[in-house]
Amino acid sequence: MLLLVCLLLAFGATRSGGPQTQQDRIDLVTSHLACPTCSGESVFVSRASAAEAIRTEVARQVGAGIRTDDEIISYIEQRFGSQVLLVPRSTGLDSLVWSLPAAVLIIALSLLVGAFARWGRRTPGAPSVADETLVKNALAEPSQDDNES
Amino acid sequence: MRSKYLVKIVSSVVALVLVSLLWVLIVSKPNDGQVARSPLLGQPAPSIVTATIDDQPFDLQRRKGSWVVFNFFNSTCVPCINEHHLLVDFANREATNDNGAELYTVVNDDSDDAVRNFFLKNGGDWAKLKDENGAIAVAFGVARVPETWVIDPNGLVRLRVTGELSEGLLEAQLDKLREEFTS
Repeated sequence: MLLLVCLLLAFGATRSGGPQTQQDRIDLVTSHLACPTCSGESVFVSRASAAEAIRTEVARQVGAGIRTDDEIISYIEQRFGSQVLLVPRSTGLDSLVWSLPAAVLIIALSLLVGAFARWGRRTPGAPSVADETLVKNALAEPSQDDNES
Repeated sequence: MRSKYLVKIVSSVVALVLVSLLWVLIVSKPNDGQVARSPLLGQPAPSIVTATIDDQPFDLQRRKGSWVVFNFFNSTCVPCINEHHLLVDFANREATNDNGAELYTVVNDDSDDAVRNFFLKNGGDWAKLKDENGAIAVAFGVARVPETWVIDPNGLVRLRVTGELSEGLLEAQLDKLREEFTS
């Protein structure tokens, strides 16, 4: 039973629930493309004329049924450059977007672990002569409670 | 004591970087009229089949054998208006050259009437191509106008200029290309 549940979970997690209709495909592709004349908006949401032109071209290519979604995205990327991709590719220089934060996180965690370990090992040093004198004087002084009694 | 020096060094470096960035911002010129890179350079030009605003058919394939210049244009765009007299001069110059380039305006997100009126007022008797739904702009990767592209007689894309043209830029670039690629 447990094995069956695990298998079903694995199937559900890895199964591609790809878009079913042409409009779904158009929406999916355009949501991966950045509007080239706006800041931070996808072609899917933007009303700019450049975004509308890209949306129309994506719709035309989806309707033609010749290219896959990735090929359509590559077609647009080849014309407008990689800055048109909202999700950077995991190859070439773009892969730094993914690898750099992970590398920085690992380095920061290593430094933290090292620092905690160092602090844990640190033992207090021997008191100086001045410290000892200070403590001796404090002990020798009669406290306020003693005076009152 | 050591950390005091470290703080001084780090803050000096940060200040230096900030001042450098500010300096770059102050001295840099606007990105206009620049010969720009494109993955299309050296590649066959996209297939363009459309019509002029006067309903004459246009097929880029049929222009092979001639140098073709596309200028992406909108009659309300200020850099397009500013560079227009340079295009008129360019078209006049090319008309006197046996190997002269054919100039075409590609109308970007504008009405035919507005373009017609603009050319009536400002001159320029070359063909103005319709770009239904911005298909030509997308095929060339044009997001903002003006942009100017040059296609050689073999149908290969040879030049892209983004932004407003500067005086003599297009002529100089085209002469260089003609020298390099005309057999």
